[in-house]
Amino acid sequence: MTLSPENFFALGVLMLCLGALGVVARRNLFVLYLSIEVMLNGVNLILATFARVRPDMGGSVIALLMIGVIAAEAALFLAMIVQLYRRRRSVDSDAYDRLAQRNWS
Amino acid sequence: MLETLFALLSFFLLAGSVTILLARDPALYTTGFLAVMLAVAGLFGLLDQSFLFLAQVMVGVGAVVVLTTIVILTINLKEKELPKEPTRGPWLVLGALVIAPFGWMLYRGLVAATPDHFPVLKEGFGTVQAMGSVLFRDWVLPFEILSLLLLAAMLGAIIIGKKEQSYDLES
Repeated sequence: MTLSPENFFALGVLMLCLGALGVVARRNLFVLYLSIEVMLNGVNLILATFARVRPDMGGSVIALLMIGVIAAEAALFLAMIVQLYRRRRSVDSDAYDRLAQRNWS
Repeated sequence: MLETLFALLSFFLLAGSVTILLARDPALYTTGFLAVMLAVAGLFGLLDQSFLFLAQVMVGVGAVVVLTTIVILTINLKEKELPKEPTRGPWLVLGALVIAPFGWMLYRGLVAATPDHFPVLKEGFGTVQAMGSVLFRDWVLPFEILSLLLLAAMLGAIIIGKKEQSYDLES
C-alpha cells in the first residue's frame, strides 16, 4: 500500500467528526475547547493535503494562517474558562446560561 | 517505511481524539490533546510540508498545548468539581448517528474532487523559502488581518482575565 490522498482525507474527516461529537455530547468546558481544537486541526490537515495534491503552496499558506487563528482562539477561550471558573467555581458549560439571563435594561 | 509511520501517526491521532471525547480525568484529555497536535505535525511532515511541520511543533505544541496544560493544571479540578454528565452516553450515540452521514458525504466529496495519487513535486515545495515567497507575494493582506486578529485576541484575553471589572455578570 502506498500513501494516497484518501488516507489523509479520511483522517481529517474523522477528526472533524470526533470533534463535533465532543462538542455535542460533553459538558466539561475544557473538553469542548479541546474538541474545537481537534476540529480545527482536522481542517488544517485537509488543507495541507489539498496543497500537496494540487500542488499549490496557497493551501499551505492558508493552513499556516489557520495555525495563527488556532493560537488566538486558544488564548480567548482559556481566558473565558478561567474567568468563569473564578466566578462560579465550575467548568460546566451550563454555568454560561447566565449570559442568556441577564436583564438588559 | 512511510506507510508504517503513517499508521503509527494515525493511531496516535485517533487514540488522542477518542481520549478527548471520552475521558473524565483532566490529565488524560490533556495528554490526548498533546498526542493529537504532535501527530498532526508528523502528518504535515509526511505531506512534504516542512514549514507547516515546524510551525505546528512551535506554535501548536510549543504555545497552544503548553498554555492549555498550564491552565488545566492551575485550575486543578477535583473529582467532585467535574460537571456531572448523565446524558453523555445517549448524546454520543445520537450525535454519532447524526454526524456520521455528513462525515461520509464530506469524505466522498473530497475523494471525488482530487486525483487518487500524489503528484511528483518540484524541488523546494513546502520549504521556508517557498512558503515565505508565496506568503509575502500573494497572501500579504490575510497575513496582516491575522496580525490584527491576534492583537484583538490578546486585548480581549487581557480584558476578560482582569480581576477588577467595571461590569459585573452577577448584578
